[in-house]
Order: sequence, then C-alpha cells, then structure tokens
Amino acid sequence: MLLAMDNVTSYYGKTSILRDFSFGIEQGKCLCVLGRNGVGKTTLMRTIMGLTDRSTGDITIAGEKISGAPTHQRAKLGIGYVPQGRGILSEFTVRENILLGTFARHDGRPEIPEVCLRMFPYLKANLDRRAGLLSGGQKQQLAIARALAVDPKILLLDEPTEGIQPNIVHEIGETLRTLNRELGITLLLTEQHIRVAKRLGDAFLMVDNGRVVASGPMPELTEDIIHKYLTI
Amino acid sequence: MTAGSFFTSFDLSAFINALILGISIASIWLIAALGLTIIYGAAGVINMAHGEFIMLGAYSSYMLQSSFGLPFALCVPASFLIVAAVGLIIERGLIRYLYKRPLDTLLATFGVSLVLMQGVRLLFGSDPKYIAVPPAFSSNIQFAFINISVFRVVVLLVTIAATVALWALFYRTRFGVQVRAVMQDKEMAASFGVNADRVYMLTFALGAGLAGLAGSLFGVLNIVLPTMGAAYVVQAFLVVVVGGGTLAGSVAAGGATGELQSIFAYFTNDTFARFVLFVLIVVFLRIRPQGLFAPSAKRR
Repeated sequence: MLLAMDNVTSYYGKTSILRDFSFGIEQGKCLCVLGRNGVGKTTLMRTIMGLTDRSTGDITIAGEKISGAPTHQRAKLGIGYVPQGRGILSEFTVRENILLGTFARHDGRPEIPEVCLRMFPYLKANLDRRAGLLSGGQKQQLAIARALAVDPKILLLDEPTEGIQPNIVHEIGETLRTLNRELGITLLLTEQHIRVAKRLGDAFLMVDNGRVVASGPMPELTEDIIHKYLTI
Repeated sequence: MTAGSFFTSFDLSAFINALILGISIASIWLIAALGLTIIYGAAGVINMAHGEFIMLGAYSSYMLQSSFGLPFALCVPASFLIVAAVGLIIERGLIRYLYKRPLDTLLATFGVSLVLMQGVRLLFGSDPKYIAVPPAFSSNIQFAFINISVFRVVVLLVTIAATVALWALFYRTRFGVQVRAVMQDKEMAASFGVNADRVYMLTFALGAGLAGLAGSLFGVLNIVLPTMGAAYVVQAFLVVVVGGGTLAGSVAAGGATGELQSIFAYFTNDTFARFVLFVLIVVFLRIRPQGLFAPSAKRR
C-alpha cells in the first residue's frame, strides 16, 4: 500500500468528523472518494495532511507512519495537495506559487520542474502574472502544477472540477488521467462528477457520515450504491 | 497678514533645511519601525516589548563600548546580534505558545517589556549612560546653506541599507518566499513543506535584532536610559499602523510622517507639529483603517 489509513478518527475541537476510517491505495492507482456534501471528504484530505485539530489511528505512506508528524514533514514524504478552493496564494505570481511546491521536494531542488510547464502551456506563458488574476480553471491548473512541483508519489485532489466551467471539466479530467496513466502518479481524489470519477478511477470509496459505507473496484460501483448515497 | 508679507517671511534656505531634517526624522521613524513591521507583518504579533528591544540595543552598545572598548562601528552589528538572540529566547520560551491567541501576546509582550526594563535598571542603574562616537560622526556637514549633523546622515544610510537588505531578503531569497507564503496562508505553506514555526521564530529574532540595531543608533542621538523605549515604541506603532504592516507601507508611512512633522515644525514648533501630525493620523485611520498598503491575507 502506498497510502493507508487504519482506524482513523479525526476531530475538529471535540467533534469527530471521520470515524474509524480505514482504506488503502496501491502505487499507481487512482482512488475516487465519493459522497454527498458534508460527509467528511474534505476532512479526509485534511486529516492526511495533518490539518485537523487532532486525529487518532495510524496513517502510513509507503509503510512510514505519518500520523503525529507535523504538516510540513508529511508534505516532504511526497504528498502533493490540491485543496478544495485551490489554496492559491493570490499575492504571489504564478512562478512563486509553483516554487512554493518545491519546498516539499525531498531533493530540495529550487527550480520549477519541467513537467509543470509541459502539462500547462498557459502557466508557462504567464509565469510572472499575479495568481489572483487567474480564472477558476487556470487557478486549478496552477494548483495542480504546484502539487507536481513537489515531485509527489501521490496527489490528493479535493474536488478538482468543482466550480469549473463544464467544457474545462473534461480537460482537467484528461490532465489527471495523463498524470496517473503516463507519469504513474498515484491519485486520491474526491469528485462530484460521477462520469469523471468513473473514467479516471480504478477503485471507489463511498463515504457517508464520516464512515466508509462501500468500497471496491470501479466496476462494482452500481447504480444502487450511487442512488443510495449520492442522490439527494 | 497679507500674502506678500508671508512670502517675505518665508526663508527658502531654512525651509530646505527643514525638508532635509524631515528626511532624517523619517529615517529615525522608519528604522524604529522596521523590526515591528516584520514581526507584525509575518507573525501577526503585536510586540509591546519592541521599545525595550530598542533600549536593549542601546545598552548592548554602551556595554560593549565601555566594558570591552569595542569601536562604535562594531557595536552596531553586535547589538543586532545580541538583541536578536534575546528575541530568539523570548520567542522560544514564551511567544510561540501564544500565536493562536493574539490578545494574550499583547499582554505577554507587555509583561516582557516590564521585565526587560526593570532587569536593565537592576544591572545598570537608572542614571543615564552615553555612547561615544568617533569625532568625525559628531561634526556637522556644511554645504552652501544646508547644515546637518554627520551622525544623522549615518542613521539615514544605515536605515537605507537595512531596508534594502530586508527587501532583498523578503523578495529575492527562498526564505523570503517562505515568509510571504506563511503570511498569506499558513496552512497552504505548511502543506508544501514550509515549517511555519521556524519562520515565525526567525522573523521574531530578526525583528528584535533590527530593534537592537536601531537602539544602538538612538543611544547616540539621545541619552541611554532604561525607560527610553517608550519614546520610540509609539512612533514605531504609528508607522506600522499607518503603513498597513508591510515593508513598503512602513517606508511610505515613515517618510510621510517624518517629512510632515518637520514641515509643521518649520511653520510652528515641535510640540505643535506632533499634535497636528497625530490628529492627521487619527483622521487618516478613520478613513483608511487598513493602512496604506494592506496585504489581503488570511492569517490563520
């Protein structure tokens, strides 16, 4: 297992958002986390990064235990994080945003990796533009480029297609597919577009009320499960 | 009084001298505020002990000079290092536990300021001390009708050097990217491997060191007393608040307030000039409470 959670319970204040959460994701695979709004998908991502107030249970990356380590050390084990809302630093230029990712590189190289610019020609042409001026889709590209600058083993993508024009949703989906299938980067993503999830994912994890309620290879994601846990 | 008599009483050379003095006052306001600016800007800590860090800088220079005979030019950087070390100890021992409680840092740093002031009083006594400078520094520059003391020029040059160095550190180095990332979004910075704790620690030490540097200069401009910090901390806070907590803001605010004070003083007197200036600052902050150049940061 590249990333695994074993019986993790995660808290904001005294409220537990995730409860007895266990799952694993293998190297090179893509796992889609599904569920309605507010069931704990974002908290799952934040728990892996160590951004919740407290968590119990074990989280491991490539066998190394990271639960208990501060956020900045977890990042250095090869996690590229693309948070909900993208977390772009709007005062920074495109270049500075991507460079921020290089602080988590294990080799400590301070240059923008070539792959970031190859994947996103728009960013390459606008390196000195202030990031706050980019459109939603461009910011999402930047957030992915920044996470790639970490030289990650795994990318955590929290709602990568949320709030993005429908015609670009497909494009972002294809980018992620390239990263996963061609560059071999493991993906853990939460996704609302079931079609994108089905095309990208090798496996799914259905979450309800802070717990895993169903999981398995993507073909096992039946209409019944979708109806029960996703339809409002 | 007619317009004519006003202009005949207007002495151009004296006015230009006032403008030049204004630059000097501005440099004093600015260097007093530099350390406070970066501590407030980067860590969000309102450091009530800033004046006492300035005072410690003055005493460091005094001690190094009178006890070890260190030349003044070396006392200045040494004061920076000594007060930076004191700042580091205070940050590690106290401030770091309080970053999530801004009101408590206010109280804690006020406590620190009292401890530092009384501690220095115990060690050195309450009588004034003096820092000697090389004779060249205590003379005046005379150029046509312009007249200014050499030491004020030295203060100006040190201020410029410190400001440029800070700018380069923040905008031209990897450390600077880390500091500015933490200022904008601590969680995202941490998610990309930036150790925010370490950034806070180093910025606090750097800010304290800058106060020490300022103190070693102020100890020459004025006498050295355990209570001298109080005089500078008000100015420093005004510059930071008017500037909005950024480096560029402090430079602009320091420059504007220094010049205005000198110009008002030329037409009236020092006391009245300060009164007018403070009123103007209150009015300015009523209109623009975020200051001149406020960052759009979400801190934590």
